[in-house]
Amino acid sequence: MSWYIWTSLAALLFCVVLLGKYFVRLLKKGPPKDLSQKSGNIAQAVCYSCIGAMSPMQKESAYLHLPTYSAGIIFHIGNFLAILVYVIIALSAIFSFRIPIESVTNLVIIILAAITFVASVCGLSLFIKRIVKKELRELSCTDDYISNLLCTVMLFVTTYSLWMFQFGAVYYITMALLFVWMPIGKIKHVLYFFFARYHLGFFYGWRGTWPPKKATV
Amino acid sequence: MTNITKEQRNKALAIISQTSDSKLETHLNACVRCGLCADSCMYYLTMKEAKFIPARKVDLVSSIYRRYKTWQGAMFPKLFHARELDDKTCEEMVDSLFGACTMCGRCVKHCSIGVDIPFLVKKGREMLAAMDMVPKTLQATVDAAINTGNNMGIPTDEFVDTIQWMEEELQDEMEDPNAGLFLDKTDKNVFYTVNPREPKFFPLSISAMGKIFYAAGEDWTLSSKYYDVTNYGYFNGNNTEATQIARNLYDEIHKLNCKRLILGECGHGSRAMRWEGPNYLKTKYDFDTLTVVELIGEYIRNGRIKLDKNLNDKVVTIHDPCNLVRNGGLLNEIRFVVNAAAANVVEMTPHGTDNFCCGGGGGALAMSEYNERRLKIDKIKADQITATEAQVVVTPCHNCVDQLTQINHTYKLGIIIKTVAELVADALIIENAELKIKN
Ligand code: SF4
Ligand code: SF4
Repeated sequence: MSWYIWTSLAALLFCVVLLGKYFVRLLKKGPPKDLSQKSGNIAQAVCYSCIGAMSPMQKESAYLHLPTYSAGIIFHIGNFLAILVYVIIALSAIFSFRIPIESVTNLVIIILAAITFVASVCGLSLFIKRIVKKELRELSCTDDYISNLLCTVMLFVTTYSLWMFQFGAVYYITMALLFVWMPIGKIKHVLYFFFARYHLGFFYGWRGTWPPKKATV
Repeated sequence: MTNITKEQRNKALAIISQTSDSKLETHLNACVRCGLCADSCMYYLTMKEAKFIPARKVDLVSSIYRRYKTWQGAMFPKLFHARELDDKTCEEMVDSLFGACTMCGRCVKHCSIGVDIPFLVKKGREMLAAMDMVPKTLQATVDAAINTGNNMGIPTDEFVDTIQWMEEELQDEMEDPNAGLFLDKTDKNVFYTVNPREPKFFPLSISAMGKIFYAAGEDWTLSSKYYDVTNYGYFNGNNTEATQIARNLYDEIHKLNCKRLILGECGHGSRAMRWEGPNYLKTKYDFDTLTVVELIGEYIRNGRIKLDKNLNDKVVTIHDPCNLVRNGGLLNEIRFVVNAAAANVVEMTPHGTDNFCCGGGGGALAMSEYNERRLKIDKIKADQITATEAQVVVTPCHNCVDQLTQINHTYKLGIIIKTVAELVADALIIENAELKIKN
């Protein structure tokens, strides 16, 4: 196996260990210890927090900003798919099996490449928005630009590699950089997002606000 | 502002080091600075300045966390926007966390991630409180509550006089010498609490509730010393003071040996005593705690009071107090009671868990240094009310009443503002004056 594949695997290990450490730490700290008298159903509220409350109809951050919201969603889907592609490609390299290029596989690869391409364009547009919009620029720090750029470049490289069906040094090094940055920079929200949804569900569930009931006049 | 000392800094940093559960770490690390929360906050919507974006308030706290509690922030502060906790940061924190956030939580629901922004704002306030940097006006309100038992510093004899005066009025109105506003009675079912604004400025709201208790035949009492439902210690970030204020009510209900603590019409007071109080006091309550809206709802459901909604025939709209609806789960209960008491109820847009704060929350009403800002953001609430064409705005919170009164005056709305108890009292049918008062 080439040095760059090893490098990417080492980076992946670093990422998993660090994110795993945060994960275990959060689990150890556990849920809030609330002594007040509960007035709702936490499990239902957490479910609502992760599903219903994430609906674009429920969030101003989505329905007031549809282009940004859509770009964000596609960007995230693209990232998850690209990481999945990496896992498959890396496994094929480790276990030396060849992915057969046949008509079905080919079609899947074309679809994947199309998605990662659109996602990379979305990532780029979000990057440009962050630079151009004054208020967003004032809110941002270097980490925001690096995180976005790393994901966007990774998506472009993945698209190109899928298209050519050649995964060389540039591909693996890009993946390695992403894996190193993931637990350090803001991409670690990949973990904290789920805990944030849990805590929100816990908070509103405890008080009986979620799941929502219809206001009846 | 003076230079902060090492001791002050350490005390402040201790606040973001406390890890009783995973909530603090989660929210300190979750914001992705997408900026999409901006349009959910009335401060940003009115002022259109980046410093009012909710995420900026989050960043004030999380950047300090990154600087002192993460290795990457300590090593590469510029890269991760990790800030020193210095005078400049503190100045910004006071202005943004006390002066530009009512802790309404509207942004939370709409945040793309689900960051609990007011939770972090509260942590920031706790840090400032640990460094003695609470705005003086807000601190004075807390001091009054600590020193006198109520946030307006009303002397006990003045309060007792007001209650007696209202009691006479109630007896005249009910034509019943047994009708009463009871003080310091023991072994009652209900221990009632009020916002000190009521005896000070709105005594008719106390008599409205007295009338409802009378009609329901309730066995109830007020304390002449600890009747204050508010707890500005929740807002100034000093948990020791918040605990002391909560303890006043906790001890008093035990002293008078009452069964149920009924939280008067005050959003933050209800929140502080019902949801935060047991955690401040580190004990589960051994008495029932509910808001007066829920109690009235119970009376209506059980047939203990009868209402004629046609007695309130003006167009009524509801202002949802953030701490009772979004942060308290009373969305439907308020509507149940208001609909039972008024014939013509219309909703604001948006309303319920999406409603905008009155603008006076988070202790804003107590902080006169931010008055101009507070009244400016209220354009949103004024426009919301105007759009309903309602003649009456009803809200179960005296802080909101106060703020809405100022909005009414500033934006010349010409509306009537009522509490839920006042609305219900106006719709009461007193069938039998010889009611089951057992006092
Ligand atoms: S919407 Fe949420 S995640 Fe985005 S900037 Fe605002 S607080 Fe941060
Ligand atoms: S809690 Fe309310 S006032 Fe504070 S930032 Fe969020 S929306 Fe704005």
